[in-house]
Amino acid sequence: MDSADIPLKAPAISADVPPSDVEQVERALIDASTRVPVLMFYTSAIVWLLIGTLLAGFVSFKLHSPDLLSNVAFLTWGRVRPAHMNIMVYGWASMAGMGTAIWLMARLCRTVLRRPLLLVTGAGFWNFGVLLGTGAILAGDSTGYQWLEFPPYAALILFIAYCLIISWAVLMFRFRRGDQIYITQWYLIGAFLWFPWLYAAAQLMLFVVPLQGVLQAAVTWWYGNNLLFLWFGAIGLGTAYYMIPKVIGRPVYSYHLATIGFWTYAFFSSWTGMARLVDGPFPAWMITASIAATILTIIPVATVGLNHHMTMLGYFQLLRYSPTLRFTVFGAMSYTVFSALGVLISLRSMARYLDFAQANVAYSHLGLYAFFSMIIFGSMYYIVPRLVGREWRYATLIKLHFWASVYGIGLMTLMLLAGGLVQGLDMENASLPFIESTQSLMPYFRGRSLAGVLMTVSHFIFAFHFGLMLFGLGRTASVPTFLNPVEEEGSEEHL
Amino acid sequence: MKGLLRLLSGLFATFAFSWVGLALIPNFQIGHLNPQSDEEGTDVYPLPQSGMAERGRHIYSVNGCFYCHSQQLRPDYAASDLDRTRDHKKDDKWGVRRSAPRDYIFDRPVLLGKARTGPDLANVGKSAPAEAESPSPPGASPAGSASPSPAQSAPAASPAGSVSPAPAVASASPSATPTAAPNPQAAASPAATALAAETKSGEPTPYSAAWHHQHLYSPRSIDQDSNMPAYRFLYEKHRISGEHSLDALTLTGSDAPGEGWEIIPTYDAKCLVAFLMSRDQSHPLKEVKSATAAASPPAGPSPAAKGPAK
Repeated sequence: MDSADIPLKAPAISADVPPSDVEQVERALIDASTRVPVLMFYTSAIVWLLIGTLLAGFVSFKLHSPDLLSNVAFLTWGRVRPAHMNIMVYGWASMAGMGTAIWLMARLCRTVLRRPLLLVTGAGFWNFGVLLGTGAILAGDSTGYQWLEFPPYAALILFIAYCLIISWAVLMFRFRRGDQIYITQWYLIGAFLWFPWLYAAAQLMLFVVPLQGVLQAAVTWWYGNNLLFLWFGAIGLGTAYYMIPKVIGRPVYSYHLATIGFWTYAFFSSWTGMARLVDGPFPAWMITASIAATILTIIPVATVGLNHHMTMLGYFQLLRYSPTLRFTVFGAMSYTVFSALGVLISLRSMARYLDFAQANVAYSHLGLYAFFSMIIFGSMYYIVPRLVGREWRYATLIKLHFWASVYGIGLMTLMLLAGGLVQGLDMENASLPFIESTQSLMPYFRGRSLAGVLMTVSHFIFAFHFGLMLFGLGRTASVPTFLNPVEEEGSEEHL
Repeated sequence: MKGLLRLLSGLFATFAFSWVGLALIPNFQIGHLNPQSDEEGTDVYPLPQSGMAERGRHIYSVNGCFYCHSQQLRPDYAASDLDRTRDHKKDDKWGVRRSAPRDYIFDRPVLLGKARTGPDLANVGKSAPAEAESPSPPGASPAGSASPSPAQSAPAASPAGSVSPAPAVASASPSATPTAAPNPQAAASPAATALAAETKSGEPTPYSAAWHHQHLYSPRSIDQDSNMPAYRFLYEKHRISGEHSLDALTLTGSDAPGEGWEIIPTYDAKCLVAFLMSRDQSHPLKEVKSATAAASPPAGPSPAAKGPAK
């Protein structure tokens, strides 16, 4: 994608800026320098999001209508499901997260983005890796390790792409101005360093020098949980730490709390992997350690939640106007719900019922969608206008996107949790035939498909709106698009 | 700059700590297990699988079977996994003991599974009727037995079947099977009755190779409430030329291929069934307490009892 191809104008900088607004100009320059790579990451991510959403709907329908297109090998449920998961994880969430992270880093390092070509090439390779991996899964060449289904050759391409992207980040950090490292940067640097270690370690332990037997499963879940927490979680929380104070125009409530929250998060959440395998064929200490770590994640959740809450205190009415704030705050709140559910389902007394039930699907969707994706949507609503120099065209579409997503993920979580509980209770009752436990899920599966329809609608609306922005069809206005007409004086300068 | 250094070392330390804790130390503890054997070095468990079963593992994993079927049983204090029975055979338990790391030492990829949208399969091979387990000629690996002879060909295989079948009745207390098996005179009658049951109803005996094939081809012909997808792409439709193929599936109703046609499993399907029928964790392990271990003290002197041990 060439920058010249995008019919955009650079963010408007009026010439008569007072000298005190140098910072304003500087920001506009930085934004302009990130335009091409960030938009490329966003565009790719949204295309993957649409594909992944369609596959998700297909997967969901097949669970209660198993004969739907089941005679074609590459459309069998067991192949489409990992294709959906990997597209969402590596195509949508990773690319959108990296796009936001790049923009945030440039802003926070207060330096223009150098060598955008590096990032553009990286994004190209990454897309190719995801495409190749997804094709391999559908063609019947998946590895059989959850979240790592891409065969090693596709993983290698992803890794090369990642190296291109990270080398840019190092470059940017090298040229940063000011010695302050803001909270968001802790999380982002963490994510950018953890991910390659994690990915390389998992690949090495599974494919290069494979570990014996059940340790492969331990590594798989160590990887899966760490990807959720140390990669997506870190980017999501870092973004929230930037967006909430930025939009309401108020510093973070407590730096001290943020420090505690960050280090306890890094320390405890990286140990939670085995809580997904409660009482499996492993030494009991591994599982107990993970359950303990999961319980201890209450500390970062509480500190981060408290920090955001205290920052927001007195400004909650802004949720009425700012799309960014609304999505971000919803995501930040979902982080609390997600973690609380994580603690709950890892407890041995609950795992007894829920270990093999659909509640786990609810858990990963809460993490990846209600928490991470919603925060990223929020950041996109903030960043894209600054890249294309236009404002979002229709407040109605933003509202529709928000509510369809919220009701979609809410209904889905509810269905999978309630269904999972019923299923788990039936499964644990050995006097019932097993088929009863699957049968009791069916109404919930249908409800989940309905939720899937809602989310599909929401994503297509968002993609359409994003497309308008991309093709320069946004509003030319000096005020951002508010969700509702602003009534009060004084609130708009923050938005 | 100092702050950055501290940040980076902190990031590295937290990550390394979790890697050491959840990968490295466990690797020292359970990463180099060997098969167990008795004093004479016989009765080795577990054994590597045959080529067909290994290929079946590949078919199983690339088609995502493990997203719905676990292959791990939790201990009796943690869950009621060990009380569960298979729906078609009320006296056939999911397993007699919990799964242990040693059960999986040859597995790659290891397919523990994280969901039970379908039943656990850790011991589904154990549920096979006696005659389908047995006809492996000496020296052939256990899984090879399942594939070439689905139950239709059982008559042809019956001479071999009388060598060392585990009597079907023994499945009431599965851990007793090893002791009962080398009893040749007990063999004939259960095998015969199982065969009779199959021909009479027109449906294959549950968990025989023929049953697995029919289940994979048309899950709802076995249980109309099942939401398992059909795996018809693993089967081929052939025009019958001359004789019926021994491998052909016996299908009725809407699944039937029509006059003059038959449905034949592909090699992949046979491998998949071979893999399923090799799933068996019933062999006692020293480190795990079996539910009925006390009931079978003389397990020692019968090394060749179980099919897979040979």
